[in-house]
Amino acid sequence: MPPRLAFLGALLLSALLAGPAPLFAKAAEPASHAAAPAPLQALKAASVVRVNATSQPYDFLRPWSKRPPFQRRGVGAVLPGGRVLITAEQVANATYLELEKPDSGEKSPATLETVDYECNLALLKPADPSFLAPFKPLALNEAAPGDTLAIWQLEANGTVLNTRALLTTAEVGDYPIGDIDLLLYRLTASLQPREGGLTFPVIKAGGLAGMLLRFDARSQTADAIPAPVIRHFLQAADAKSGYVGFPHAGIHTASLRDPQLRRYAGLTNGTGGLYIRYVHPGGPADKAGIQKGDVLLAIGKNAIDQDGNYADPHYGKISVQHLLSCASFDGTQVLFKIARQGKEISLPVVLRYQDPSQSLIEPYTIDRAPRYYILGGLVFQELSRQFLKEWGSEWTRKAPERFLYYDAHQEELFQNDPRSRIVILSNVLPSPCTVGYEELNCLVVTQINGVALKSLADIEAALAKPLDGFHHITFQGHPGEIVIDAAQATALEPALLRNYNLPSLKRL
Amino acid sequence: MRRSVWILFVLAVSCLPARAISIAEVRKSLVHITTTAQDPNYRVPWNPGPINSGAGTGFILSGQRILTNAHVVSNARFISVERENDPKHYIAKVRHIGHDCDLAVLEVSDPQFFEGTAALSLTNQIPQIESSVSVYGYPIGGNRLSVTTGVVSRIAFQQYSHSMADSHLAIQTNAAINPGNSGGPVLQEGKVIGVAFQGFSGDVAQNVGYMIPVSVIQRFLKDIEDGHYDRYMDLSITTFPLLNPAQRKALGLENDGRGVLVGSVISGGACDGVLKPGDVILSLDGHPVQSDGFVELDGERVEMPEIVERKFKGDSVAVHILRAKDPKDVTIRFNAAWPFQIQASHYDIRPRYLLFGGLLFQPVSRDFLQGNPIDSLRVRFLYHFYISDEVFKDRPDLIVLSDVLPDPVNTYLGGFRGAIVDTINGEKIKTLDAMAAALAKPADQYVIKMMGEGRPIVMERAAVEAARERIQARYNVRNTQNLSE
Repeated sequence: MPPRLAFLGALLLSALLAGPAPLFAKAAEPASHAAAPAPLQALKAASVVRVNATSQPYDFLRPWSKRPPFQRRGVGAVLPGGRVLITAEQVANATYLELEKPDSGEKSPATLETVDYECNLALLKPADPSFLAPFKPLALNEAAPGDTLAIWQLEANGTVLNTRALLTTAEVGDYPIGDIDLLLYRLTASLQPREGGLTFPVIKAGGLAGMLLRFDARSQTADAIPAPVIRHFLQAADAKSGYVGFPHAGIHTASLRDPQLRRYAGLTNGTGGLYIRYVHPGGPADKAGIQKGDVLLAIGKNAIDQDGNYADPHYGKISVQHLLSCASFDGTQVLFKIARQGKEISLPVVLRYQDPSQSLIEPYTIDRAPRYYILGGLVFQELSRQFLKEWGSEWTRKAPERFLYYDAHQEELFQNDPRSRIVILSNVLPSPCTVGYEELNCLVVTQINGVALKSLADIEAALAKPLDGFHHITFQGHPGEIVIDAAQATALEPALLRNYNLPSLKRL
Repeated sequence: MRRSVWILFVLAVSCLPARAISIAEVRKSLVHITTTAQDPNYRVPWNPGPINSGAGTGFILSGQRILTNAHVVSNARFISVERENDPKHYIAKVRHIGHDCDLAVLEVSDPQFFEGTAALSLTNQIPQIESSVSVYGYPIGGNRLSVTTGVVSRIAFQQYSHSMADSHLAIQTNAAINPGNSGGPVLQEGKVIGVAFQGFSGDVAQNVGYMIPVSVIQRFLKDIEDGHYDRYMDLSITTFPLLNPAQRKALGLENDGRGVLVGSVISGGACDGVLKPGDVILSLDGHPVQSDGFVELDGERVEMPEIVERKFKGDSVAVHILRAKDPKDVTIRFNAAWPFQIQASHYDIRPRYLLFGGLLFQPVSRDFLQGNPIDSLRVRFLYHFYISDEVFKDRPDLIVLSDVLPDPVNTYLGGFRGAIVDTINGEKIKTLDAMAAALAKPADQYVIKMMGEGRPIVMERAAVEAARERIQARYNVRNTQNLSE
């Protein structure tokens, strides 16, 4: 499970859907679709609503400001309890959310009840509790490979455009935002471009089988977030103790097909087992005593093959990752049956959710303003992947190479690092304080006034102790150290705010 | 923004009314050089590389020497030279070559070649900006003399694109300099002021050609006097201009526009143990260093490294510094050229590699990366930061698994392409030689750990030995390793 650095290059539907959709004279149920599994009643859009989101992400290169707002539309699934399910991407960085009835166009503002960007799901609630009263909530309906499902888009007239989709494969794969791998439904479908954005419900026999995640128009394939992931999300959302995300075991694994590796790992017979190549220090597996080089033979009663698959009663051979993340919850204990140099032992592992915001370099920063501090024109920030993504669609090649390397290999490079964040000098707003420093950018800051920075939160305490009236900023490597006149920097604050039209010189 | 600098195979001889020698005289010293070169194959390193031929210009210096660019005769297998007005082709050999300054001296053993020739002499002045120059040579494949003229446009440090890793002074001119002019003399009042060597092909630039100035030529000729080229010396530090008033005050400097900050000192370099980050360099050999990193030399304002550029192996430079506000005088001795040169283009060497169980291991270098489509962030990072992050300390050779020649012994190892060797049977691997030694030690299995958190590569000796001849025969591998250049 290496960190997924790039979004899949799938063409998102929104790209096809500029402007209002043309009017279609007929409802969305041509005769040829008679075999589609959804009942006719559902096609009157009795179970889906439009979700209109206005989003405004922060600009991580200018962390004091937000980017221009933009609108996204999607189709949400009405669930029991007066809630609407939508993908989390759809509502990321939302400043305003509203629900819209497909027939009447009647709208209600909505609030975000629960969101999990790792599994890419969100629950919305209308401000007016009676808004969803006329709808018939969808129940979850798990599908299996071979099933014919229906993808529900919305026509401009409010009826459902029902497209058949063949569920070809259920497998564990990468999700667009976090670093987690979860079950996916892979579909073959030929979607028409329609107004309605990124997200559509996937239906099996009138029940909700999944939410569309991505669609590739060239290959006519789509991925959907499947019912088991949705079920896990809903159960966690209903937990009395509050929402906790999908758990991890804290291991990275490798296939054991190679007979030379099998013998090295002490396996003398059989064909199964998964090589544990990395154990996250302090993670669930580490706490349970699992070691690098152990061979994972089974989890509970589920034997694991050389590629890391087990035989799921519903989906057949799928990755053991499903057992450890989707089929378990934070705090679930599972029994790892392992082989350690030929000896079999069983160790109970308590799976735990690992908060991605606790990473040294956050994999995503959504709905949250980036921290920054401006000293005399020097802009300090914390290194995050969101910052690197400001380099655009080719950010994995174009962003500063040192930062990319740190992000991609942070577990390996920063194992015993005392920092909780890497403080960087992102750029310089030239001012009388920064003469000669104008071209400094994207440098790792290690200390200010001799105080090691564990995160940007330490900066004010460090700046409280200037040395002989000067702030000394120490970088990792060249140029070593630069100096700012403390009194001059303070005196310049009003001018900086005015000159660069900044709302504030810090956000900590 | 990357500028693309191209190398010229050009020579030019100009005849201006004010010239001190006639065109007939210049013709007597010009040499047309044709080179058959064989470039190494870094993709399939046991294969002989492709053979190609090129032409350039050279000119005769005193002592029956022919001066030309290194890139005209790099990787040469056969060099022939012709004079104006002599139909004969003569065989030439490289006597000395300096890839870091793109200069070479050729010799011709047939004494007949030099009959009736005249040697050109080098000026000992830096030419004035806007003074006119003439470029002589055989551009664009012709074998008749071509002359173009222009003026000296600028004199500044410039990257020399032959090695891609060295910057020296270069003279920019607007005289047309084209492929084929390379190695040709640029004359002013009958004296050589430079050797035409590269051009500039940006989207916006026009009429930009470069010549190697006499200071660089003289240094090369002096360096080889002992029969051996020792290359340029280097401080191996980074410096930062001291323009900020607060920084100057904190460092205890006057507001006199002098001094640059030492930003980093590379381990093992000339300044290691002498200078420290945070020191301020105030002067070099008595030349005051201005706060933007320039010094005045021979009446010209030039970049500070120019003082070091003129040093030879064994020389030293006197440095006046301010350390923690205390003035100090230190001496930096140049004992050897910087050894870790993976970021430079290399010539006249054979690629090093090691083939083990069908796994091809090669040290990462500029040449290697140009010949191999490896797209690994780790390789890119370690290559680009090889010196600044002192990667060379742990890994003088950055050994990458560059290819897998499929065979039953390695059938599950294709995914390791682009990974970098870390340890073999627990031993840290720093060089390709050490790797070869580790794989020659008797062991039942070789556990090769690559950098990162991947699983180990396990190669059982019996299986590797059984596969050796099979792989060599199947893939036409002549030698399973080459450890020396």
